[in-house]
Amino acid sequence: MSPQPQAAVGAPLSRVDGVLKVTGKAEYAAEHDIDEVVHAVIVDASIGRGRITSIDSRAAEKHAGVVRVIHYGNAPKLPYRDNAGSNNPPGRRLRVFQDDKVLFHGQPVAVVVATTLEAAQHGASLVKVRYDAEKPSTDLTKAEPGEPTRYARGDAEAGLRSSAIRLDLTYELARNHHNPMEPHATVARWDGNRLTVWDKTQWVMGTHDEIAAVFGLPADAVRVINPFVGGGFGSGLRCWPHTIVAALAARVTRRPVKLVLSRKQMYFGTGFRPSYEYRLRLGSDRRGRLNAAIHDIDAETSSYETFNEAVMPAGQMLYSMPNVRQAYRTVPLDVNTPIWMRGPGFASASFVIESAMDELAHELGIDPIELRRRNEPSEDESTNEPFSTRRLSECYTVGAREFGWDRRNPKPRSTRDGDWLIGLGMAAGVYDPGRFPAQARARLDADGTAVVEAATSDMGPGTYTSQTQVAADALGLTMRTVTFRLGDSLYPPTSPHGGSATMASVGSAVVDACDQVRQQAIKLAVEDRESPLYGVNADDVVVRNGRLHVQGSPARGETYKSLLARNDRSHLEAKGSYNGPGSERSAYFAYNATFAEVAVDANLGLVRVRRMLGVYDAGRIISPKLAESQAFGGIVGGIGTALLEHTVTDHRDGRIANPGLADYLVPVNADVPDIKAIYLDGEDNAGNLLGVKGLGEVVQVGVAAAIGNAVFNATGRRVRQLPITAEALL
Amino acid sequence: MHPFSYTRASDTREAINAGRRGGRYIAGGTTLVDLMRETVEHPETLVDISRLPLREVTATERGGLRIGALVTMSEAAAHAKVRALFPIVSEALELSASAQLRNMATIGGNVMQRTRCTYFRDVTTDCNKREPGSGCAALHGYNRTHAILGTSNDCVATHPSDVAVAFAALEARVLLQGPEGERQLRFADFLLRPGSTPNREQAIRQGELITAVEIPALPRPLKSGYLKVRDRQSYEFALTSAAVALHIRGGVIREAKVAAGGVATVPWKLSAVEQALIGERPSGRLWAEAAARAADGARPLQYNRFKVELLKRTVERQLRIVGEME
Repeated sequence: MSPQPQAAVGAPLSRVDGVLKVTGKAEYAAEHDIDEVVHAVIVDASIGRGRITSIDSRAAEKHAGVVRVIHYGNAPKLPYRDNAGSNNPPGRRLRVFQDDKVLFHGQPVAVVVATTLEAAQHGASLVKVRYDAEKPSTDLTKAEPGEPTRYARGDAEAGLRSSAIRLDLTYELARNHHNPMEPHATVARWDGNRLTVWDKTQWVMGTHDEIAAVFGLPADAVRVINPFVGGGFGSGLRCWPHTIVAALAARVTRRPVKLVLSRKQMYFGTGFRPSYEYRLRLGSDRRGRLNAAIHDIDAETSSYETFNEAVMPAGQMLYSMPNVRQAYRTVPLDVNTPIWMRGPGFASASFVIESAMDELAHELGIDPIELRRRNEPSEDESTNEPFSTRRLSECYTVGAREFGWDRRNPKPRSTRDGDWLIGLGMAAGVYDPGRFPAQARARLDADGTAVVEAATSDMGPGTYTSQTQVAADALGLTMRTVTFRLGDSLYPPTSPHGGSATMASVGSAVVDACDQVRQQAIKLAVEDRESPLYGVNADDVVVRNGRLHVQGSPARGETYKSLLARNDRSHLEAKGSYNGPGSERSAYFAYNATFAEVAVDANLGLVRVRRMLGVYDAGRIISPKLAESQAFGGIVGGIGTALLEHTVTDHRDGRIANPGLADYLVPVNADVPDIKAIYLDGEDNAGNLLGVKGLGEVVQVGVAAAIGNAVFNATGRRVRQLPITAEALL
Repeated sequence: MHPFSYTRASDTREAINAGRRGGRYIAGGTTLVDLMRETVEHPETLVDISRLPLREVTATERGGLRIGALVTMSEAAAHAKVRALFPIVSEALELSASAQLRNMATIGGNVMQRTRCTYFRDVTTDCNKREPGSGCAALHGYNRTHAILGTSNDCVATHPSDVAVAFAALEARVLLQGPEGERQLRFADFLLRPGSTPNREQAIRQGELITAVEIPALPRPLKSGYLKVRDRQSYEFALTSAAVALHIRGGVIREAKVAAGGVATVPWKLSAVEQALIGERPSGRLWAEAAARAADGARPLQYNRFKVELLKRTVERQLRIVGEME
């Protein structure tokens, strides 16, 4: 942190953009109304794999209002240059309308452009596509995996053999979709060879770079704008094919084009949390000291890209043990490519590891928290680096006390409330928050207000608000006099808004920019003979409420406004940057202990969550009200993963069998119980200027396991698949 | 959505005339508009009946109840006469859909609503209900929510309504008005099992309009209740449900009205369960024995086998709950 007094940071403020959002004035991607805009609707492949043999677009073209039908037979060939540094996974990305191949059910095979949305929709239903269909391979458990990524320390096989207690458990985790409220949407407009795109994305720079690469455009010919995101959870972390379709359609028709994915199209037009088959063998001694773990992890990917996520680290560093072996295999399937979803990798691994720890605790007759304490590592055993901070043990203590863990009866099926069996469960959570390069620009104007800009995003955590807090304190201004702008590729570039990286990364760049501006002002003052601060040591000057003064002597000072006016300066400006953690050598993770109380009507297979508590070790909390909202959201997401969310593929032809919110169930208000979130007070200054660890992901990690463990405590039934459904409990 | 024309009927006669010429009736539109958007339905003409005078709830002589076809779900659920005479109807309604949908959807439309079968709603799949003769993608597809009773090799889709299960249990009648005048059909005769013609869902003739649903009088006191088992707590269709009404006098069950939902192609009247109850004294054993008959004739599919056991347990639970009410 800067030497500035902390006023806004740490205050429980409401969102600065809250009024805009609740009054409908926040403009989302699809809401940008542009003169002469035409509407595009994608025609989705109705086979799971094969080749297009013919496309008959005559009926569609005859329909009133239809401007053009574009498909591989008439689309211009696009360069699709490599795009290093993007979020495209290794492989050959899907190239829209460039050939006759169908790689997955729902792949875009044509787009209908029309003067009205209705005409485009109807036109799309009139396009007749014929295929030479092959049987797709979409079943994770029946397909050939790729080469594994491996990790090993010690001798896990020998360690397991020599362990007094051995568990061999296989878990199945369903595919999950993000389902943000706002559909993915793109508005594309060409002005000559320059392209402007309004796109739902969590990373305007990423979309910018991908569009430039696909169309072979110079970087400065493309601008991507996205000031508001109606939820993302990771679905906006890469540029999807429909964005290219919109830009392509705009180029072909020479009209600005608006393309909004339907809810159904979001089940194959954007990515998903992959399904997993995860076998874990765990060995311990009779006192619960872990000795060995073998993780065999299989996950979905597409046939054309290899999507990897951080499903391995938790198994390497969460608990102390000498022997670990892991093999993580992605299984190429005829599906579209997955993408990160809240708590990526860690959330999936944690369900397995934390469920298994609960099984071990039960087997040994040891309290689940005590078992975890006995295996608390003193360093990151995968790297032998010290932890920057690790207060997981404190999370257990606070959580147990606040949740009333001592009231849990360790014997399953021992607590009843009418037809309901009551159970308590807990799990630990860990996440590796990102710290990525970022830049920001701060400008202090003569009127004493400031504007700070960075090409980051706000998918819901409250970036606008929290960055304003950071900037306000660094500049010594009030919240009202600082405006933070984001979501435009013309602003200083940042890395993706994901991976819990934004506050550490963009926040550090914002602090740097604002510190520089403040120091410029201080320098101006202490060198200005007419300033009351003339001759004061610059290090002794602080700024509060827009007024510079000597620390400890508030009377001696002046405002930014008077300083700039007297010096005839229209503004002061600086660009700040953050280059990542650099040479920092410590294991930087955020943690939680999550607790759940469930009621299970075992006779009818119903699970209802009654209470949840999350206790978080996430470093400094910049914005407590937003952080609490984040925890609530993560826990609700975890309830969904635990009990409801399941994207079902019909393996006969590869279609998604439940592509909509009526059939893909997410929790509704009635499913969301009493939730409490506690953030441990503290900071972690490892490689960032703000003392933060990032919290958007860790809040979902461990939630599903805590619920599953509570279901076991309630019923004695161990369900090793997600979601936990009625049929598993009958 | 396919292009269509729209007219609004100002009286029942005008509506029926338009219906006779092939117009499709629309009231709340909560099913039809969805299906039109998915191009499952593509009516040429919509006839808006929402302003017709079919919004009355009236008690019939001896304690029956008539609910106008255009009474919304939320109005019916809250209506004092419904709550007083057949609270099970209110319960079933309040456990249906969402508050917003209940404010729009009508009783007539609820009875007419079409299945939630995912394959029916996806026009790129085979579905005999949508396209007769094309086949049934659900039979060997993802059929977790599908029917185990009243199915055929041509269709295994469930009827999604909750209140229709209560109506079926109570042996309600559907009042119809058409080009050839008025008639009444028992619920069991109105909603059709798929057989080899799953595209025919109701015994309704072209141009006929539902004017009301009428519940006959039942002996009092009547204990009743609706239980809905579902994956999430609200805004979700039933995996299984049970509507139970019992008239117990002198310690003996004199009348039993029982039906199940979420498990069958139509609201499923459980006559065997009713027969097992009538003339018996309430007991835990009786509930279990009667409920054991609930899934008689069930034909489970790959993903819905659990419904056989779940149905029996649902019925047993609801028999106990209603039977032991004070």
